Amino acid sequence: MSSNMIMLKSSDGASFEIEEAAARKSKIIANMIEVECVDEDKAIPLQNVTGNILALVIEYCNKHIVDDDDDVATEEASEEEEEAKKKKVDDWEAEFMNSMSLETMFELLLAANYLNIKSLIDLVCQTIANNIKDKTPEEVRKIFSIENDFTPEEEEEIRKENAWAFG
Amino acid sequence: MNREENSDSIPFPTDLFFEIFSRLPAKSIGKFCCVSKQWRSMLHSPDFTDLFFTKSSARPRLLFGLEQDAYGERFFFSSPQPNSSSLDFHTKFGYIAYADSVHHILTLGSGNMKWRNVQCPFTHEPFHERICINGREYYLAQPDGYPCPYMIVCFDVRSEEFKFIDTERFCNMCTKLVNYKGKLGAVNYDSGMRNLKLRIWVLEDVEKQEWSNFVYTLPENEVLDSCDLSVVGVTASGEIVLSKQFTCKPFYVFYFNPERNTLQRVEIHGNHQVFENRNRVDVFVDHVEDLKFDIMRAATSISPPEQMSTSTRKDHQNEKAITEEVANGSLYKEVDKSCKVISGRLSRGSGCLKGTAITAVVVAAAGAVAAVVLSSNPEATTELINLVDSYVNVIITALKN
Repeated sequence: MSSNMIMLKSSDGASFEIEEAAARKSKIIANMIEVECVDEDKAIPLQNVTGNILALVIEYCNKHIVDDDDDVATEEASEEEEEAKKKKVDDWEAEFMNSMSLETMFELLLAANYLNIKSLIDLVCQTIANNIKDKTPEEVRKIFSIENDFTPEEEEEIRKENAWAFG
Repeated sequence: MNREENSDSIPFPTDLFFEIFSRLPAKSIGKFCCVSKQWRSMLHSPDFTDLFFTKSSARPRLLFGLEQDAYGERFFFSSPQPNSSSLDFHTKFGYIAYADSVHHILTLGSGNMKWRNVQCPFTHEPFHERICINGREYYLAQPDGYPCPYMIVCFDVRSEEFKFIDTERFCNMCTKLVNYKGKLGAVNYDSGMRNLKLRIWVLEDVEKQEWSNFVYTLPENEVLDSCDLSVVGVTASGEIVLSKQFTCKPFYVFYFNPERNTLQRVEIHGNHQVFENRNRVDVFVDHVEDLKFDIMRAATSISPPEQMSTSTRKDHQNEKAITEEVANGSLYKEVDKSCKVISGRLSRGSGCLKGTAITAVVVAAAGAVAAVVLSSNPEATTELINLVDSYVNVIITALKN
């Protein structure tokens, strides 16, 4: 495993050092490394990601790169060990997401999307989905800052159409 | 939780919106359709409903139906399969009346819909439980005037023909029909002392009526010994699912993997008052939600079937019209719209729920989609409409088969 370090720079000017292997979790950065447009002395500027969000992304990547190494080392691992390891990752992810506000989750999702980190997109989307699934339309409008553009009659009609969903 | 202050500054891409919402239960999608016009059109778009179905298929769920005796109400819940712990409440609907066993058939989505009668060459007393595999509906029945006590009736939705399948006398009251990797399976559960066996017969060839059979002995488990378990089905991945028949605490579901000879016990946490008392539980495997099948719309124009004796000449003309439509293929062009519904025996007795829930079939052949519900009772139709109206997911479960 390469222990090369890479510098990332957030939109608000904060610099972060990250192992190349962890940074490769991002398809965008991995691509940059492949085509050798990463200068070792220069930080990669990430114009769409703020420092506090980038810190979360890096925390996630660091955690998951360690797990990927484990996979290689214990290729012959028994099913039980596999399950235990999966549970450990799941627990870590639950804890990681649990500490976040919904607003931070949306920002993290946009960052994961920009950096193209598939597993992080999945994790954040699932967490947001779990958060909003039991909310009322009114609550959802508030969360997404959406104006209700239905007339009361139209809304009544749609509610009737979807009465099964409101039971 | 509130993004009011900076939401205007963050453009939210549609693909991420889809990524989040395709992970929600269908019920949430139904609710969120009235958030705004834009949301409604996005949640109705084919791109979204396709993605939703793909995601939903990748996470099949166990569907629980509970019948509360005191009120005759039915409650539906589902939980992830197999590592389920929490239950999501879906809906409830009211009591469906008992009736005799005349079969009616109805084609959904063809404009003004009328019930037709289906002719069965043999008189038989059908069991409530039904299973649909590859456009055929199967159920156990006791034929009148036959020496063999139990047989399996096969109703082909495409040809609308009934067929009896000889069960070589292995079927009994407790035999459970399952979809065993795309074939009809019949499972008997022998609960001997500390030695629990599953005997499975698989119908290898419907036309030749060839059966093969397997016997599996379940690994020991202290809970297995003590309770009224029954086989509820076989998942697409081949795991045999067993569940308790009545609510109790703790409530367990078991997954038996015949290839690995493992038995997984999963506790279901039902935080609903219906779990507090002893109520009957019906469990369905591989429940997948689909937003594309708009049974609610299709069901709104169903009128009650007329009694056999009051069948009019006009009905026969309708029947002819539908048959011709099928014959020349025009009906098959309306893939999502054309669904057949037969209404059958919906009874109050045990297993009634399965009778109603499993009787929907998809016929994928020739591009047609057909849903079938068996009924015998004109009065049941209003309830049936409420059923499909309020609970599209039950039907969808069976549609997947």
